[in-house]
Amino acid sequence: MKKTKTAVPKQKISGAKLWAKIYKYRGFYLMFLPVFVFAIIFSYLPMLGIVLGFTDYNGIKDPTFVGFKHFERMFKMANFWSAFANTIVISLVKLILTTLFAVIVSLLLNEIVNLHFKKVVQTIIYLPHFMSWVVTASIFSLILAPTNHGLVNTFLVNIGVLDANNMIYFLGSEKWWRFAYYIINIWKETGWQTVIFMATLAGINTELYEAAAIDGAGRWNKMRFITFPALANTILTVFILNLAKVMNLFESAFVLQNDAVLGTANVLETYIYYQTFNSGAIPNYGYTTAIGLFKSLVGCVLVLVCNQWSKKVREGRGIV
Amino acid sequence: MKKASKFVASLLAGSMVLSMAACGNEGGNQESSSTPQQSTTESTPSGGGDTTPTESNQPESEPAAEVAKPDKIKIMIDGTVPTQENYGDDFWKKYTELTGIEVEIIQPDHDAYYDVVGQTFAGRDWPDVIILSSTYYTGYASEGALWDMTDAYANSDLKARHDAKAGSDTVVDSLRINGSLYGMPATHGNGCVTYVKQSWLDNCGIASVPTNYEEYVAMMDAFTNGDPDGDGVDGNTFAVAAAGFIGNEAPFTNYLPEFYQDAYPSFMQDANGNWIDGFETDAMKAALGRLADAYANGYIDPTTLTNGTGDCRNKFYDDEFGVFTYWAGTWGNNLKNNLEANGLSGELVALPPIAEVGAYIDRITPAWSITSACENPEGVFKYFIEAMQDGGDVQYLFTYGVEGKHWSQAAETLWEGTDKEKTYEEGQWHFLPNAEKPETAYTKAHIDPMLALVDLEAPENSVTDVALDAQELFNANCKSAFIVPSTDEMSMYNGDLTTLKNELIAKVTMGEMTIDEAYAKYEADGGAEWSKTIVDSLNAQ
Amino acid sequence: MKTKKKFPVFRIVNGLIFIILALIIIIPMWKILVDSFDLKTAYGMKLWPENFGLAGYVSVFRNPTLFRPLVISFITTILGTILALTLSTLGAYVLIQWEMPGRTFFANFLLFTMIFNGGMIPTYLVLSSMHLTNTLLVVILFPALNVYNLVLMRNFFEGIPQSLFESATLDGCSPMQTFIRIVLPMSKAALASIGLMYAVTYWNDYTHYKLYITDSKWYNFQMKLRSVIMGSDLPQSTGGATENTVKNAAIIVVIIPFMLLYPFLQKYFVKGVNIGAVKE
Repeated sequence: MKKTKTAVPKQKISGAKLWAKIYKYRGFYLMFLPVFVFAIIFSYLPMLGIVLGFTDYNGIKDPTFVGFKHFERMFKMANFWSAFANTIVISLVKLILTTLFAVIVSLLLNEIVNLHFKKVVQTIIYLPHFMSWVVTASIFSLILAPTNHGLVNTFLVNIGVLDANNMIYFLGSEKWWRFAYYIINIWKETGWQTVIFMATLAGINTELYEAAAIDGAGRWNKMRFITFPALANTILTVFILNLAKVMNLFESAFVLQNDAVLGTANVLETYIYYQTFNSGAIPNYGYTTAIGLFKSLVGCVLVLVCNQWSKKVREGRGIV
Repeated sequence: MKKASKFVASLLAGSMVLSMAACGNEGGNQESSSTPQQSTTESTPSGGGDTTPTESNQPESEPAAEVAKPDKIKIMIDGTVPTQENYGDDFWKKYTELTGIEVEIIQPDHDAYYDVVGQTFAGRDWPDVIILSSTYYTGYASEGALWDMTDAYANSDLKARHDAKAGSDTVVDSLRINGSLYGMPATHGNGCVTYVKQSWLDNCGIASVPTNYEEYVAMMDAFTNGDPDGDGVDGNTFAVAAAGFIGNEAPFTNYLPEFYQDAYPSFMQDANGNWIDGFETDAMKAALGRLADAYANGYIDPTTLTNGTGDCRNKFYDDEFGVFTYWAGTWGNNLKNNLEANGLSGELVALPPIAEVGAYIDRITPAWSITSACENPEGVFKYFIEAMQDGGDVQYLFTYGVEGKHWSQAAETLWEGTDKEKTYEEGQWHFLPNAEKPETAYTKAHIDPMLALVDLEAPENSVTDVALDAQELFNANCKSAFIVPSTDEMSMYNGDLTTLKNELIAKVTMGEMTIDEAYAKYEADGGAEWSKTIVDSLNAQ
Repeated sequence: MKTKKKFPVFRIVNGLIFIILALIIIIPMWKILVDSFDLKTAYGMKLWPENFGLAGYVSVFRNPTLFRPLVISFITTILGTILALTLSTLGAYVLIQWEMPGRTFFANFLLFTMIFNGGMIPTYLVLSSMHLTNTLLVVILFPALNVYNLVLMRNFFEGIPQSLFESATLDGCSPMQTFIRIVLPMSKAALASIGLMYAVTYWNDYTHYKLYITDSKWYNFQMKLRSVIMGSDLPQSTGGATENTVKNAAIIVVIIPFMLLYPFLQKYFVKGVNIGAVKE
């Protein structure tokens, strides 16, 4: 398979040589040990519970093996696939938009010369990250309300785009909901994402800029040939890492959706939530485990595909 | 590598099964209490129940007189019983003082209560007593995790005390599953009543509150198109608001009852005792018509769809609307205080249900259950569950809490220097400020005195008149909600079905769909089919 | 020389963009700030508090039950951040040893944990069998290995010129010495930014408290404040502060530590690293 290909270039190493090499790296193995132990205890031991996904288990009676029953049920549920598609679309568009905005903002922030201004701006734009989603939802349902209280609608009426009797119910209409959702996410997370990009930019060797300046490179060329390439690596890494979480979209969608927009807004996690919440039964942990496993598999595929692509772009190096 | 992981996997699965088996059957009961547990930090040694090992094998029919008193009870509770911050330790110390029984308390965070309950049942460390909401109560009961207290209750003094107070027996009966009782309610479930601002009635010249839907609509119209808030502008208000057009938990219709009236959008029993889907009845269609008309006329808050309950309260305090269906009792007083803090009149009328509504709905109350791991369930029933409603000292503790912590009779001034300063004389009974929210006072420990099932002599001034009025109105005009049994078909289809129903209700109300279109979509999307499958499964039981 | 002329235009436009951006970001938060100082409960947006008062904040800070959780938050955040940074830097450092036998296995070994998890009950059973539940250890140890941040850290380390490692090895540095003398000093921006992410995770953590700590004496600040923010159950309001004021004050209080911390950390982001200077 493809994976082995990347391992092959190391050439065939004889047993003795391999041991010599391992001996040479002994210090590193020791350094990895704590990480290894943590991963075993907090991830791999609990991960054995994945077998529950193939059982009926409510925490009281012993788990009984049921094979793929939970998966069959999941795939048979009426709106499962629409929720699945919603998740992929909403999650990916959100990821692309927030990353894009964060990159642009970082590049522009990097050009601000006045340090005080830069600090103030940076601090302000990162603050929304610290507001819980519930609070964010309640503020935006006010700002986007189709009444005189709604800032956005009032503004649109005042500049003559809208008629006062025809205000847009952004969060209550299927046509507008996703748009509003993306905007709110950009508002909340752009600043926070710039933190990592700004740190990357700070790592650029200043000598490069000096050399470029001597060559007569302008602002645009410096940005294009030095800043952006340095950032590209991080962008790619962040993007692929976030792909693993694509299926986990829950809280932001949950707090912003309502009965009228579920057709476009219902994502897998919220769909499952309503399923179990409305079923009037104690949870079957086998079923929830099966769903978790399915989400993990989708995330795994997304990451592997993109990692393969990343290896092509980055001379054989994946994101890890 | 693969083999190794398979081995470990089977090990873990095996150990989980073992640990669960240890709890699931009675043979494991002894083991679970004799194994040293992490909870040994408590003062008494573990295994307190060992004094009555024989009784656990013959759980039924022993006369109450021979019941042995447990030494120690392990109790799992949510935040409705005083938490550590709210002097929970003092609370339970007082309980031990009164009964001579040690307790060990597990009190998870409110939000995660049922997750932790699930984890605990999956582990080997079951509590003796647990408080459960109706869903978990029925679920765990049907799995055999809860002790059947039917006989113990039938022969108890508690039953006599319940019989002595009108309405209490029906609350207990609402927890019966096929006649058997696996948990005991401590209070009524409580529900919502409709509050109307007196000042709005006055400003619109409405002399008496509406008694039927026609009058109710007339009031809605006056509140929407007139000038009820007295700011000189007509039509800048609306009459009523809610968080969503339909509730997301049974009894669903409790926030806009005047429009729903006799309609109920979920499964219910008809006059013959057959299960039907209330959404498919003509009553529901009529209700949708009323909702759509009211929304089109501007009576209902245009952002009802996206409102949270907090939004509704803030709008109510900000005088944006005048009719609010919200919790009876203490909340009546709370609404009044917040209105007054905003410089408005706090006078609210708790509306007796209009003729078409008939009665407000009393929710199913949480149950105090004894788990099947408990070694001396009769003892725990008698000395804990019964004692909690003994009409005496223990009930007083569960109702009002601990003197000096939750209430006091000392001479003192509270909230000194604020505009709500209160001075009490020596011997004057009063609640103390809440330790977690010092700007508020306690109103109860666990049992709301206004909702109790057993009479207890109340200290003077323990309840505000406003709260009491609202609660008494509710208690006099409520009917109990009912438990809908869960079937496989229900857990399979009811999620999708409810989502579809809620979408249709929202869209019809907001005028995006006619009623006929909605029911056509209901058929087309499979709603009718799911509903029929569930109804059949309920009737087949 | 054309470019020279453009500078002021670009700067002004750039500045304007950020002023507008900052305003857009602030407006929704302004509502909370105003409400937290306003003793009158209002639904709509206001420019200034109508009935100004500090009662909301007084109520939050006078709350006697908040002090202990605050201390717990500080302790867990500091210890947790140190531990988590240690694990991420060690792991990241090992992952850039491209020639190390088993590197790919270790990388996939870690990546796998990010994608798959065993679910609530098995996790609980493992933690409880190790007697970690209901102790502060669980909330410090459990979030400490974060593969997402570890990979980001590795990404930063990758930028360190290979020649530095080689010269260090030639000088006879052990891997640990190289790590401490070269890698860490070269990665201040990375340590600051990822350290900030960990600090935020620990400070804001309530999932782990909710699930694994049933004894409320070990609750942290976030747990306590959340009950104030989310609590719909605030009966019988008395005293100067209304429910809404207290709630909004609590939201602001949660944000304050990060408002203060960030400008302090920013000095590591503003100026670039001069690799030549480290080499000397």
